[in-house]
Amino acid sequence: MSAAHAPEAEPYQPVFVGKTMDRLNEIIARYPAKQGALLPALWLVQEARGWISDDAMAEVATVLDTTAAHVKGVVTFYTMYHQHPVGKNFVQVCTTSCCNICGAEDVVKALLQETGAKELGATSPDGKWTVIEVECLGACGFPTPILVNDDFIENVTPEKVHELVRKYR
Amino acid sequence: MGYPQKPHPKETVVLSEYFGDPEARTYRGWVKRGGYEALKKALGMDPNAVTEEVKNSGLRGRGGAGFPTGLKWTFMPKEKKGPHYLCVNADESEPGTFKDREIMRWTPHALLEGTAIAAHAIRAEVAYIYIRGEFTEPWTVMTQALAEANAAKVFGNITIHLHRGAGAYICGEETALMNSIEGKRGNPRIKPPFPAVAGVFGKPTTINNVETLAAVPHIIKRGADWYKSLCLSSPKSTGTKLFSVCGHIQKPGNVEVTLGFPLKDVIYEMCGGMRPGRTLKACIPGGSSVPILTREETEKCLLDYEGVAAAGSLLGSGGVIVFDDSADMVYQIMRLARFYAHESCAQCTQCREGTAWTTKIMERILAGKGQMKDLDLLLDLSENMTGKTICVLSDSCATPVISGITKFRSEFEDYITGKKRPVMVA
Amino acid sequence: MADLVNLTIDEVQVSVPKGTLVIEAAKQAGVLVPHYCYHPGLPVAGVCRMCLVEIEKTPKLQIACATQVAEGMVVKTRSGQAKSGRTGVLELLLINHPLDCPICDQAGECELQDFTFQEGRPSTRYSPTYPKRFNPVEDFGPDVLYVPNRCILCTRCVRFMEDVAKEPVLNVSERGDRAFIGVHPDAQLDHPWSGNVVDLCPVGSLLSKDFLHKARAWELDKTASVCTGCSQGCNVTLDLRDDTVVRIRPRANVEVNRYFICDHGRGHYRWMNRGDRVEAPLVKDGTDLRAVDWDEALDRVRTILQGAGGSAVALVSPKASTEGLYYARKLLARFNWTGAFQVVMGEEAPLSGVPNLALRAERAPNGKGAELLGYSRDYAAALKAAEQAAVVLVIDDPETAVKTSGQVIYLGTAAPASLNASIILPMASMVEEDGTYVNRDGRVQRYFQARGTPAMARPAWWVLGQLTDAAPESASAAFDVMAGDVDAFRGMSYATLGLTGQRTGAGAGVPA
Repeated sequence: MSAAHAPEAEPYQPVFVGKTMDRLNEIIARYPAKQGALLPALWLVQEARGWISDDAMAEVATVLDTTAAHVKGVVTFYTMYHQHPVGKNFVQVCTTSCCNICGAEDVVKALLQETGAKELGATSPDGKWTVIEVECLGACGFPTPILVNDDFIENVTPEKVHELVRKYR
Repeated sequence: MGYPQKPHPKETVVLSEYFGDPEARTYRGWVKRGGYEALKKALGMDPNAVTEEVKNSGLRGRGGAGFPTGLKWTFMPKEKKGPHYLCVNADESEPGTFKDREIMRWTPHALLEGTAIAAHAIRAEVAYIYIRGEFTEPWTVMTQALAEANAAKVFGNITIHLHRGAGAYICGEETALMNSIEGKRGNPRIKPPFPAVAGVFGKPTTINNVETLAAVPHIIKRGADWYKSLCLSSPKSTGTKLFSVCGHIQKPGNVEVTLGFPLKDVIYEMCGGMRPGRTLKACIPGGSSVPILTREETEKCLLDYEGVAAAGSLLGSGGVIVFDDSADMVYQIMRLARFYAHESCAQCTQCREGTAWTTKIMERILAGKGQMKDLDLLLDLSENMTGKTICVLSDSCATPVISGITKFRSEFEDYITGKKRPVMVA
Repeated sequence: MADLVNLTIDEVQVSVPKGTLVIEAAKQAGVLVPHYCYHPGLPVAGVCRMCLVEIEKTPKLQIACATQVAEGMVVKTRSGQAKSGRTGVLELLLINHPLDCPICDQAGECELQDFTFQEGRPSTRYSPTYPKRFNPVEDFGPDVLYVPNRCILCTRCVRFMEDVAKEPVLNVSERGDRAFIGVHPDAQLDHPWSGNVVDLCPVGSLLSKDFLHKARAWELDKTASVCTGCSQGCNVTLDLRDDTVVRIRPRANVEVNRYFICDHGRGHYRWMNRGDRVEAPLVKDGTDLRAVDWDEALDRVRTILQGAGGSAVALVSPKASTEGLYYARKLLARFNWTGAFQVVMGEEAPLSGVPNLALRAERAPNGKGAELLGYSRDYAAALKAAEQAAVVLVIDDPETAVKTSGQVIYLGTAAPASLNASIILPMASMVEEDGTYVNRDGRVQRYFQARGTPAMARPAWWVLGQLTDAAPESASAAFDVMAGDVDAFRGMSYATLGLTGQRTGAGAGVPA
């Protein structure tokens, strides 16, 4: 679902035009107040651009009759919204206790190695991978679960990492 | 037990009957399996009668608080002066818990049906199902199921919307969930006002957990007495519950048992017990926010609200995290403290600063730079973080620290005295 | 009369209206419950957790700012539990708080300092090996600096901008102990009332660039006064360091400005420090102005007045005190008298969250007072009348140019620029005298003397009063004479006006 992860064009091109605006209008209708559509709107921006820039936040604010500061406060609160471009494959690995005792940290190490990202949060030199540790993904019985963009993959082990990375590359 | 295993003979299979059955996800498949009959029946009942039935069943909130569901529904205004709302808490983020995800991705219609019945009971026209952002598969499945159910027009005057979260454990707190739906930061609210008086968008609101609502169609269909009869120990704990067993266990997964079932049997019989050569050291029975049990306490514990409390912990969300003798309790408690520090919303001083400080002290101990007085400091700090904040995230961070130091003190002391080598760099 | 609730706070029994918050009820019992995020002018947040108190029959400590009183409630703010709860909060606030007191503007008026002295731990348990959270200083806009390291996240500033100024340009960014107050790069903090966040900030996190490093709080002499920026009449406190006005802060007045002043008024103090004052009475002999003492100057004025007949014109500043304006009128009573004032106009800027509060278009504090005393706004007509007048009395309007065949008497603070005056008398500014202003709603408010009169300057009421039959001995006495003579002020006195003033027409001494 996620698209280009590049810096914004100059001048800024609005996200909410045409079909995207239609989709947003349909979503706005679900709530008694426009602001209720804020989280969905931010997902739409991230779907279109891969991340949410200050300019995009200002656009969302205008469309939903709120302030850019409010939108920014919301974006910085929720960890799944990216505030800067990330690698084409954004990998989230759960390392909270239940997965931790089942080898999650080894999965992280393997992924950092295999993708070339080397460090948590950094993007690999080929721009294809960013790996981060996240908190409980709600799949503790299938250790270690990871998200690659919107693909939820269960039971990842260090042994499976090589094949997984190859598949996505 | 739940997908991908077959049910264990000692399970009471109600909610998990169709886990792993792809056809059950479809509207037609669900109707074929007897679905939406309860909804039809409920829509023909007086809302108060529906509430009465659920009240009599003894169903208690399955999200963690265990509050009697029917009673919660009676808090809504008797006289309807405007819109009412139902919010469904599908933000499942409590470490150790993975039951709501299964309900949504295998039996989405069960949730939709329960949601609609509950909405009818509390006279809500609109229900929002708040699904955490990371649950991409449940989102897709629920979206599809909702579309099919809407096409079949089963919900009457009730409209159900899905709302996607974006990565915040605290949004599982009911007032924070409402703020998140309103397009704000997921900050818990001070109470009063209570949600049933002024909830989402300022209107009377009830918030229920996924598992709680999934049980409602069964109660309507088969009756409160049937549900009440599902009881092995305390009469105040009725029905079945999905227990998410994970950690150092041979067969992790969800098991569905009647409340009052022995925890020992869940671990050793249903989930295959320990890995070869390993012994049980500790168990957290209800998600990471409840006290840790020692092996002795675990093996004596009955799984219902009163039973777990008697054992020294809480039933909570039913996330059973198993630690065997290879587990480093100090490291895992540090990791839990770090979890809470990441998830703190930043409103209350005790939580904002305390969770981070707790993490730092734990890391320092693991780096071999701890002192004995640090244990007193951790206990004092945890006491400061308990019972003094808007929500219980602060208390939840303190709980594993307190129970950890109390019951596994020697492991902490080993790091402090140097008997155990440091595993971190401070 | 609202339903009253009886409760006990720290063994003191109080009766307060139903719905009162425990923290407010405590004030009646003489108890200040330590707090940060609570403010009577802002919606309740309940986030700092500082105001924890013990309430009998309630298992957990409760926050006093969000708990309503109940009949028979017994509150203990100083019990062991409550104190240790608050000590805990203080310890946690200080673990990331930098030891900036020596360089922090807030020192001396800092609530973190105050409550830590009162209830905090004597030393920290936070390991010295932990670095404190660090973020660089941010420039939020025209006057406000944000020092994130000192911020205790009470969110008063965010709530002010959102609920009182109705322009939510401040947010809380990030989560957990990484949180800070943020702005979006597209929008600065330039709302006309945004300076209030500096006052609201309990610590030295939000700072005024204008006041930065100007003075230490304990060096300041604080005096109750009234803002001279416009006709709203906000109550203020003047802060002086060695007789120089260095800062204006709002003073609470629920009827006028609640707890706030606008940025224009906040910055409107430089005129108070002007050095180009008339220093001594000056009389014209021939073409020269000669400095004389007050006796000689007043004699000269008497001579001018006795020798004049026909019409007189008074051109006054709407910044002059009501007492001064009254005595000018009294003095010229026997003439065919015209009085007028002119006032600079500007753009109105309301504070939307408070009823009837705005930076007013009329940029002077006492236009209404002048009106009530019979002065007109038709300045042009008065200038015309002045051409034929025998006496023109100009009060504190140094820029005005009058063409007249009569005598010009100038009484003012700054020296007149191009006035052909026969006599120039030095006047005390409002900072240097007691007096009153009447705001646009007809509220008569006292301002207090903040420093001594410079050189030979005297208050207007004294100078003009000396020239009448019964010279008043004090500003209060001057006001009393006026109250006895002018209906609008009947029944009022300095005693009844107190610190928050009274509406005219309020009846004999009854506060509005």
